Amino acid sequence: MADVQDGAVTRDLPLRGSNADAESFDIVATYHRLLKEDPDLTMPMAAIEALIEFLGHSQVKTVYETIDLVKTQSEKLQAAVRNPIALSHGTDLFSQYLIMSLKQPASSSGSNGSNNSKSSPAPQPPLDNPHESFEVVRQHLLRNSRLFATRAKNARERIAVNGRKHLHDDTTILTMGGSRVVGNLLGRAAQKHDYGWYTDPPRQFRVLYAVDPALAAESEAVVASLRGQGVPVATVPFTALAYAMATVDKVVVGAEAVTANGGIISSMGTYSLAVLAKASRKPFYVAAEQHKFGKTFPVDEFDFSFDQGVINFYSDNTKEGKDKKVTMPDPIDFTPPELIEAFFADHKVLTPDEVAKEVIDMLM
Amino acid sequence: MSTEQNGAPAEAAPKPGEAPKETPKETPKEAATNQNEKASKDTKAGAEEKTGKAESKSTDAAGDKKLTGAELKAKAKAEKAARRAQQKTSKEVAKGEAAVSSSPGQLGPSAGEVKAKGKGKDGALAAAAGAGRPTLLKAPPSAVVTEQKIQIPECFSHLSMARRIPMTQADKDVHPSVLMLGQQMATFTIDESITRLKATLLAFRKIEYLTACRPMCFSMGNAIRWLKLQVSKIDMDASEEQAKKELCQAIDVFIAERITVADEYITEQGAKHIKDGDVVLTYGRNTLVEKAILYAHSTGTKFSVLIMDDPYERLGQQLAKTLTDEGIKVTYSGDFGGLRNHMRQATKVFFAAEAMFSNGAMYARAGTCDVAMLAHELGKKVIALCETINITERVATDSLTYNEIDPERSSAAAFRLMFDATPDKYISLLVTELGSVQARSAPDLLRKLEEFN
Repeated sequence: MADVQDGAVTRDLPLRGSNADAESFDIVATYHRLLKEDPDLTMPMAAIEALIEFLGHSQVKTVYETIDLVKTQSEKLQAAVRNPIALSHGTDLFSQYLIMSLKQPASSSGSNGSNNSKSSPAPQPPLDNPHESFEVVRQHLLRNSRLFATRAKNARERIAVNGRKHLHDDTTILTMGGSRVVGNLLGRAAQKHDYGWYTDPPRQFRVLYAVDPALAAESEAVVASLRGQGVPVATVPFTALAYAMATVDKVVVGAEAVTANGGIISSMGTYSLAVLAKASRKPFYVAAEQHKFGKTFPVDEFDFSFDQGVINFYSDNTKEGKDKKVTMPDPIDFTPPELIEAFFADHKVLTPDEVAKEVIDMLM
Repeated sequence: MSTEQNGAPAEAAPKPGEAPKETPKETPKEAATNQNEKASKDTKAGAEEKTGKAESKSTDAAGDKKLTGAELKAKAKAEKAARRAQQKTSKEVAKGEAAVSSSPGQLGPSAGEVKAKGKGKDGALAAAAGAGRPTLLKAPPSAVVTEQKIQIPECFSHLSMARRIPMTQADKDVHPSVLMLGQQMATFTIDESITRLKATLLAFRKIEYLTACRPMCFSMGNAIRWLKLQVSKIDMDASEEQAKKELCQAIDVFIAERITVADEYITEQGAKHIKDGDVVLTYGRNTLVEKAILYAHSTGTKFSVLIMDDPYERLGQQLAKTLTDEGIKVTYSGDFGGLRNHMRQATKVFFAAEAMFSNGAMYARAGTCDVAMLAHELGKKVIALCETINITERVATDSLTYNEIDPERSSAAAFRLMFDATPDKYISLLVTELGSVQARSAPDLLRKLEEFN
């Protein structure tokens, strides 16, 4: 009951204390630290964890104030990185989760897609006071903040299970980039899988790996790991993709973020690969966790809030520093949904149209 | 009470009229005969039951509530039925059976539905929102009868047209401001779906006269359905004054949420898609598109605008003036001459939807589809702006099922249709106040909206 009374006090003086907390807490540093500490953490998940840590620092007790603060912090975080797309998908999901769990305190879980398991703790009686129920949600989040990371890793395992059905024996799978999800999917498929009622034997497939010089280190690691697990891997340079396409049966790539129309934002070159696959009529699959889905809806390659500085015309007459742009460190491109056959997500395998529907249901 | 009985078939007819929206009408004639069959069946089974229900409802009300309210209701109901019957017979005489399918007087989306289900509530609406003017419904608008002078080919008789009702023929109880609005709608001074909706909401009490002036747009139908819902939510014991006050408040909130704020958000989101160096092509003039362009300009984006105009209504000139006044570089073309050349230079195409159908088709000024198809062919992105109130649950695969005839250009030999339907595949992005989606996600947004209610 002390909580409720505190809440009343804070409501009377809504901004005192909370602001001081918000200012002293450096969300950007926290985000980068989390990413560094756990190399397996995805950007949206790191953003969510950073926000939870922030909640732990803030003393706010009212719902609306918190939602407001989370919004400010999210904006701060988004402003601090050059490419905020994946990150914003995480913060959007988190604020939506907060709103949903406060709307229906006891049984909010179902409506929030993949989040159903991370919702309300034990079954609890319906709470009349929204501030009290909010405190429950807050405490639950703080206690279980690490759960998000664990779940993210579990999601990768579930993708491997969902995706292996689509990797057939005696086929060649083309992939690129250093996606952890794809690496895990291919590695797991090459081992046997125990469904409980049936043990699926290892899939016998080959992997053709397109190596992007910019991502050479990540690619090397994935290739070495796959070869270690007994998967025959051939590497080709990006320039040989069209040439090699005839030997390929399927293309599987990872994604940084999944857009509202069921397209993907991924490392530069993915779009080229998708176009080539389409031209050769090879199915193009994307392995991505549901938490990467978001409201971003680019109409073309340049419809982003930031300039990547990839295209840069200049001649010897160009004055230094005037027209020369610097290319962004990890450039991305947008692959439209028309080029994508299906998504291997952690909850199911779905088409781009179904992704669009889920985004509307989950986040709008 | 005899009028009541006559009224019943007229009411039953619109209800089956909803069925064809799933099975597209091949020919209106076929649909019409179909409906006549259904209608007659309904007349036997449903109509009696319905009137019975409605009557019992109103008598119930009479028993419980103040006598005046119930009286008003019964009176309004009877009058409405009588008017409907008259409207129907007049149409039947003039046009034969084809008129039944969707009589021009009530093209409005949901017109049938609303009338069929809103029976008892209708009275309540008239009583509660009717500003104490039950007589409003009394005089059957004679204008509806005179309208038959305009001749259009039989196969297009399901389409409707704005009518200029001479001021002298209008019901004497119509408020002057509404009279003005009606005339503005009929003469297309107030033209866009959303502006008409706003004006209508503000003048909701005189809806009958307004729909007589120009057929309802889809958003007006949506809003009426919403208003009926609000009316049904009102406590029956509430006083008339109280009910009126609540309704007016609800209408104000509705306008603020679904139109004013929605427009602001859409403007901002739409403007975000305009980048430095873009050449934005648009067709005719629409307030939302104009706002989005002005907003993008105000944020410092450097771009130019290409206006393709509709030769029948050169509203683009107005847009060109507004934009050049703000210092935006504008290229203007009065018609589609050289459209392909202009389109090659364009980078993005902006439209605003008059309505969005549930299959993702966009209902907009005639000619929009041609521009969108060419944009698609040349690989340009088409961005449609639309408030969610303009999304209808109806489906259109062609431009003939739902349309309006230009009253200025209509004869038995030739006439001009005012709208067309652009299939979803020609639209890259639909910007609404709920978020940016694909055009074919329009029904998902509808579903989402129902969840909110």
